[in-house]
Amino acid sequence: MSEVIVITSGKGGVGKTTTTANLGVGLAIRGKKVVLVDTDTGLRNLDLLLGLENRIMYDLVDVTEGRVPYKKALVRHKKYENLMLLPTSQVKDKNAVNPEQLVHLCEELRKEFDYILIDCPAGIEQGFKTAIAGADCAIVVTMPEISAVRDADKIIGELNRADKNSIKLIVNRIRPQMVEKGDMLDMDDINDILSIDCIGQVPDDEKVVTSTNRGEPVISMEDSLAGKAYRNIVGRICGEEIPFMDFPKDSFFQRLKRAFGL
Amino acid sequence: MSDEIVKIKGTKSGLQLSFERGADFESIEQDLREKLESGSSFFTRGTVIHVAPDALKKGDLDRLKRLFSKFGVLFRTTDPLTASSPVHEPSHEEGRAEEDAQQMVIVNRTLRGGQEVRTKSSVLVCGNVNPGAQIIAGGSIDIRGTCRGMVHAGAYGDSRAFVVADRLMPMQIRIANLIARSPDQAEEMEKAERAERASIKDGQIVIEPIER
Repeated sequence: MSEVIVITSGKGGVGKTTTTANLGVGLAIRGKKVVLVDTDTGLRNLDLLLGLENRIMYDLVDVTEGRVPYKKALVRHKKYENLMLLPTSQVKDKNAVNPEQLVHLCEELRKEFDYILIDCPAGIEQGFKTAIAGADCAIVVTMPEISAVRDADKIIGELNRADKNSIKLIVNRIRPQMVEKGDMLDMDDINDILSIDCIGQVPDDEKVVTSTNRGEPVISMEDSLAGKAYRNIVGRICGEEIPFMDFPKDSFFQRLKRAFGL
Repeated sequence: MSDEIVKIKGTKSGLQLSFERGADFESIEQDLREKLESGSSFFTRGTVIHVAPDALKKGDLDRLKRLFSKFGVLFRTTDPLTASSPVHEPSHEEGRAEEDAQQMVIVNRTLRGGQEVRTKSSVLVCGNVNPGAQIIAGGSIDIRGTCRGMVHAGAYGDSRAFVVADRLMPMQIRIANLIARSPDQAEEMEKAERAERASIKDGQIVIEPIER
């Protein structure tokens, strides 16, 4: 019934945390009961993106070490009743939580929630191994850039090695103009190398930055392209067939402007 | 060369030498010396040579032994009957290394970045070899997919090893002790449309299209 999904990437800065926050909000808007677990101990960010930093009382390490039951550490989102955050500690490091503890926690959370989204730290070390331990499936986030794709490839290999074979791909921060000019890897190149099922193509959008700073994920913005892409991904996670959207190309006027260097 | 004074037959354990009936030792030695000096791939270092103990006189056998050892070839006197049964076709046997190269490791998945296959035998990959992955094989490498990683065929010195892929666009190809790398400008490496084969020709790695 309930599903544990780990959101991972290998490389840092490709948008794991942003994706986790947006998918969490999107699923909550659809009425699902969702908990977001931040496993990036020592470098926590997920609470910031959701604007919940000031409400944190306990954290993941308190829970895994048995100081408090997990329910006490959950932070309810101020706007979306169905969305909970389990933040991690900012003072401890990755060794504070081990894979068995997280597997156990996920089993507990399954009883309560429809979706458990785990925000994985960058890298392939202990933190990664802990984060994926309890997951049923994984979403690999990458960017149209060779280093991000290379790391995604490595991560998929590592996931396979850990017997996690349900893996989906989200390509984040696509810049359609650059792809069109051939300056950026296009989807064919990426699919060719990674050859896993792609469930999302998210364009680069300035609104992501402004929404992050405000603690309000971009998925709730009706007029944002990235928001729309995330809403589509949420639909696909829920099993709907949604075609990938076409990114608007530059209008003739914009191209003319660029040609004159304006 | 007239009809061979020295006959060479490949066996499982090495090469079996036999000599033309009545041939004098001088011409036998001369013939073998020429063969060794020509650098023929028959006598690579480490090859084991068998000669029936009664084929030549004791002193002559010792002289042959010295000749072979100069070229790094092991010389044994064994009866052809006690030596392992000879193979029929005059193959290019190289003892143990060759045997390994004829074994095949099958990889039934895509090799992703950071993954490595290292074996003394040959490798068949049913899937892609992604950038950052590497295959190091004693024998040849066959990739039923796209090769973008690093491949090393004949890694233990077999210069007759080759690499075949449906789309051959690797970072590096190494065969035996030679290296070829991909062009620095990505555009120079057009997408290979058909299967290609890399092998050593005249001391260089060459890539040519093949049918399959």
